Amino acid sequence: MNPIEVAAIVVFLISFYGLITGKKMIKAVVYMVLMQSAVIVFFLSIGFQSGTVPPMGAYLEYAEHIADPLPQALMITAIVVGVAVTTINITMLMAFFRKHPTTDWDEARKKSMEKEGAATLPNLESQS
Amino acid sequence: MLTYFVIAPIFIAVLLYLIPFFKARKALVILAQGALFLAACYLFFRTRETEIVTIVGEYSGFLGIILRADQLAAMFVGLTTLMFLIITVYSFNEQKDSRLFWFLLFIWEGAFIGLFLTRDLFNIFVLAEVSSAVAAVLLMYKRTNRSSYHGIIFLMVNVIVMQFYLLGVGYLYMLTGALDMEYSHMIVSTLDRSRLILPFALIMTAIAAKSSMLPLFTFLPKVQSIPRAPVSVAALFSALQVKSGLYLFLRFRHLFEAIDMTGIFLALGILTAVVGVAFALTQTDVKRILAYSTVAQAGLIMVGLNLEGVYAYVGSMYHIISHAISKSLLFLATGMVIRVYNTRDIGEIRGVLRSLPVVGVCIVFGILSITGAPLFGGNISKYFMMAEVNLPLFITMSFINLGTILVFIKFARILFGTPSEEVAQQQPIQVDKFKQTAIVILSALCLAGGVFGPGLVRLLFGVDATVSLGGFVEKLIILLVSWAVGLLLTKYRHLGRGGLQRVTNRLDFGFRGITVSMGAFLVLMLVLVGVLM
Repeated sequence: MNPIEVAAIVVFLISFYGLITGKKMIKAVVYMVLMQSAVIVFFLSIGFQSGTVPPMGAYLEYAEHIADPLPQALMITAIVVGVAVTTINITMLMAFFRKHPTTDWDEARKKSMEKEGAATLPNLESQS
Repeated sequence: MLTYFVIAPIFIAVLLYLIPFFKARKALVILAQGALFLAACYLFFRTRETEIVTIVGEYSGFLGIILRADQLAAMFVGLTTLMFLIITVYSFNEQKDSRLFWFLLFIWEGAFIGLFLTRDLFNIFVLAEVSSAVAAVLLMYKRTNRSSYHGIIFLMVNVIVMQFYLLGVGYLYMLTGALDMEYSHMIVSTLDRSRLILPFALIMTAIAAKSSMLPLFTFLPKVQSIPRAPVSVAALFSALQVKSGLYLFLRFRHLFEAIDMTGIFLALGILTAVVGVAFALTQTDVKRILAYSTVAQAGLIMVGLNLEGVYAYVGSMYHIISHAISKSLLFLATGMVIRVYNTRDIGEIRGVLRSLPVVGVCIVFGILSITGAPLFGGNISKYFMMAEVNLPLFITMSFINLGTILVFIKFARILFGTPSEEVAQQQPIQVDKFKQTAIVILSALCLAGGVFGPGLVRLLFGVDATVSLGGFVEKLIILLVSWAVGLLLTKYRHLGRGGLQRVTNRLDFGFRGITVSMGAFLVLMLVLVGVLM
C-alpha cells in the first residue's frame, strides 16, 4: 500500500463518520462529495509507481515505464456521474428547504411525516 | 448486437423528447416498447443455444467492455422489457402530454437492460448510478412532489452505497488488473482468500442495499409510497429495482465463488422476510403495505437462491418473475383505486369490488398469485422453492408464507364492504381504458404463469419439472391451513398494533440510522467472512 491509498481510505472513513454524525442535510451532501473524491483518489493511486510516464505523445518512446491509464479514464466518468447525481441531490434539497425551512435530518423527518399525509403516520384510529 | 439493446431505448428517449408531433410521439412510444419486447424474446431464444457475447470496441482479450447475454441475463432483459411495455400501456393516456416522463422511462429501461447485460464492473457502477438518478428524477419531476424527504434519502443512500461498491471494485482491480467479471473470476479463484475479504464485504454491502436486505431495507418501501409520485414508478421499483439487486447478488456470488457465504445469506433472507412481513402488517398506507411486502418477498427469493438443489434455484428465479408480475399488478390496480377513493388509508377504502369491479377482480388475482394459490404463478414458484428443503426450513418458509397471507388478508379488506358515500356519488366512475387493459393483461399473466407453469419452467430454464400430485396436495393443504389460521388470527387479534408496532417504529431508521446500519453491515460481513474462513 502506498501512502496515497492510505490517505484516500482515511478520507473515506472521515466522510463516513461525517455522514453518521452530521445533523444537517447539506453537510451530508458535502460529506457525500468528499466520499466520492476519496474513492477517486484511491482509484488514481492504484498501481502507482514513481518514475512512470503518462501513456501519450512524446512519452510513448518510454513505453516500458507507462502508468496504467485505465483508472484515470474510469475516474473521469465517475466524476461526471458524481456531478450529475450531486446536482439532482442539491436540487431536491433546495426544493425541500423551500417547503419546510429546515436542514436538520430529525426535524425534516418530523415535518415530512406531517406533510406527507396522515396515512404515513402510525395512526391507530383508522384501523378499527 | 447486444449494444443495440442498450442504445436503442436511449436513442428512442432522445427522439421522443425532440419530436414535436404529438401523434407520432404516441405511436413511437408503443411501437418502440413492443419492438423492444419482441427483440428481447428473440434474444432469449438465441441464448438457449449459446451465450451471445459482444465486445464493445472489439479489443482483444479482456480489455474492452464485454456484454454477455446468457440465459439468466436474457431472462432479466425479457422481464424488463415486458414490465416497461405494461407500464407504457398503463401510463399511455395519463402521461400522454408529458415528454419528460417518456424520456426518463426509456432512459431507465436502457439503464436496466445495460445493467443486466454488462459484465464490466465499472459499467455496473455507472448504470446503477444512472438508474437511481433517473428514478429520483421520475419521482420528483412534478413540481408538487419535488420536496420529498424520502426521495432525498433514496438518492443519497444509493450514491453512498455505490461509493462502497466502487471502492470494492478498486480493490478488486488492484488484485486482478481487470474489470471483466469472467476474467476477474478466473484470477480471483487463484488468489489467497484472505485478500478478498475487503472487496467482498464492500460490494455485498452495496448489493444488500440494492436488494433491500436487512438492515438496509427501510428506504426503498418509503420511496415507493411517496404521495402523488406516479404509481407506475413504484411498480417498477418493486418489479425491477429490487430484482436488479438480486441479479447482481447472483453475479457476484459467482465472481466470489471462493467465499462460501450461503448460510449467512440464507439467514439474512429469512430475517428480511420476517421483518418485511412485520413492517407490512403495521402500515396503514395501502401503497406502503405493498412496498414492505416486496421486502418480504425479496427476502424469500434470497432464501431460495441460497438453497441447495436446482429446483430451489428454478423456483426462486420463477418467483422473481411471478412476483414482479403480481406485485406490479397490485401496485397499478391500487393506483387506480387511490385515484377514485382519494385516500391511501386502508381503513377508509372499502368496497372496491362493488365500485370498481374489474379492478377488484384483478386485485383478487394478484393476491391469489402472490400468496401462492393453486393455478397461479406464485404457486408454481413456491412449490419448486420448497420442493427439496429439509423440515426446519420447510416450516420457516411456510411460516413466512403465512405472514404473506396475513398481510394480504389485511390488504384484501379494501375489496369488501360498502364504498363511502363520496365514492358512491361518483356514478358512473370513470376508468382509464388503457390502465384497465394493463392490469387485465397482468392478471392474465398471473393466471398463465400458474396454468402453464411446468411448461414455462421448461421453456425458461430448460429444467424438466413436473408437479407431482402428492406434493401438490400436500402444499394445498398447508396453504388452506395457513389461510384458515390467517383468517382466524385477523378475526380475533388486531395484528400490527401494540408491541409489533413499537418494534417496527424503532427499526424504522432515518438517514443517519441507515448510514450506521450500512457501516454495521460492512463490519458484520468483514467479521463473518474473516471468522468463517
